[in-house]
Amino acid sequence: MERRNFIKQSTAATAFVTLGGLSLQSFAKENKKHITILHTNDTHSHIEPFPNDHYKSPNQGGVARRATLIDSIRQENPNTLLLDAGDIFQGTPYFNFYGGELEFKLMSMLKYDAATIGNHDFDNSIDGLYKQLPNAKFDFLIANYDFKNTILNTHVKPYKVFEKDGIKIGVFGLGIELEGLVDPRMYKETVYLNPIEIAQDMSRILKEDKKCDLVICLSHLGYHYKNEAKISDLVLASKTKDIDLIIGGHTHTFLPKPTITKNSIGENVLVNQVGCYGLNVGRIDFYFDADQNKASKGKSIIV
Amino acid sequence: MKKFIISFFTLLLVISCKNEPQHLVKIEGKLLPVNEKLESVKEIEVFIQPYKEKVEKEMNTVLSYTKTDLVRTDSQLESSLGNLMADLCFERANPVFNSRTGKNIDFAMFNYGGIRAGITKGNITTENAFNLMPFENSLVVTELTYEKINELAQYLINGKRAHPISKQVNLVVTKDGFDLKINHKTIEKNKTYFVLTSDYLQNGGDNMVFFKEPVTLHKLDYKVRNAIIDYFKEIDTVKVKLDGRFRKEI
Repeated sequence: MERRNFIKQSTAATAFVTLGGLSLQSFAKENKKHITILHTNDTHSHIEPFPNDHYKSPNQGGVARRATLIDSIRQENPNTLLLDAGDIFQGTPYFNFYGGELEFKLMSMLKYDAATIGNHDFDNSIDGLYKQLPNAKFDFLIANYDFKNTILNTHVKPYKVFEKDGIKIGVFGLGIELEGLVDPRMYKETVYLNPIEIAQDMSRILKEDKKCDLVICLSHLGYHYKNEAKISDLVLASKTKDIDLIIGGHTHTFLPKPTITKNSIGENVLVNQVGCYGLNVGRIDFYFDADQNKASKGKSIIV
Repeated sequence: MKKFIISFFTLLLVISCKNEPQHLVKIEGKLLPVNEKLESVKEIEVFIQPYKEKVEKEMNTVLSYTKTDLVRTDSQLESSLGNLMADLCFERANPVFNSRTGKNIDFAMFNYGGIRAGITKGNITTENAFNLMPFENSLVVTELTYEKINELAQYLINGKRAHPISKQVNLVVTKDGFDLKINHKTIEKNKTYFVLTSDYLQNGGDNMVFFKEPVTLHKLDYKVRNAIIDYFKEIDTVKVKLDGRFRKEI
């Protein structure tokens, strides 16, 4: 009896090993996954490239060129998300004439997946922003503005979970304090909530409840301030956890490469911002592996 | 039994295969410049074209005419363009303010740095107005005390710059101080004055702190650029002169 049991078990074990071996080969490809995040910030109605005689950025930028760049990356990796960190509006007569219509329509043509709201996006008041929403075929994500008593109520979301190649990517948005920066008649009854507390809630929801593999914060808080009391992306990074990447805006900070900093539990967080006016696109590639051995070695960050 | 065990393991494998937990092993980040090395997507360019044409057409719309170059640098303490800007804003804003409050603005003041471009003699277009005032600043009226008006005068004198002030002001720098008249009258201690400026300056921009805590503040909901455009539309030929509204005693 004992012997028979043994045989049974060993047969099963053999089958397991064989199948296991097979499975390792057949799933080898899918064991590795690759997500690309592309991002812009503070494009400020810059549609065309700067003129050739521009004092600072001659012949740089341009939405039609950005489209080429994004198309080529999407062909290389279809598992790509395209995000914007706010201040889409204001900066050229295109905004004065069309109120943001062209900006949103072009971003939709470029297939942006989501954007957050910058202070200048209130320049035609909250009504002006609301009026242009039908031209945007992407979501506006902002978690720390309470729009309950405004026209934007239910038209923006705090976060969105994207799924690409089985990888869950949670994206949430954060906006800057509007008081003192924007005329109250523009943002009306929008209530600003503490971005750090909200980010802690968001990262918990996305990581624990929604089981996201990646958590990205789209922020218009600004990269860094001399006044440490003012909440910036670097402050946010240090006081939160479970955020993999903070994509920033507002300060028009031109980072030649993403900043690697530590979160509240000593883990690495990436903070990036790519200047302004569509002069650059930021690219962050995330590589996943199901192989426990590789994972146990920890993640490498190459910037 | 054997079959069951094998199929159980197979099932387990299939499930585990599908739910293979993914671990983040590598992150790469880089900056991609958007420049002339990238071709433009034709479809996008074609889409922009009609918007572009309309903007260009509007920008090239002739609003007015000037026989001389309008610049901010043609004198020390005042300028043709500064005088024009302050006077036209006063002219456009006072009826708005008067209809709301029944009172009149005493004078206007802006900042030299806020004049972003000059206007070459010839036709004045919408583009000139945008270049002169690219910001979305709006006009506000501040009610200032005698003390704040003195601070304002001292600011002008210390700055020695041709900050735009309207023609109701007559400020003369004298040997022992200054002589300030508003609408031909010496300023009075217990009186307040209504001063037109922009919301940017009222908030302390360019260190014009005397605007910061006015007795009363009236927002006119009128953009500086729109005041400029509206004025040019009504005036066939712009006439400006340097009249010594801010000068040194000879």
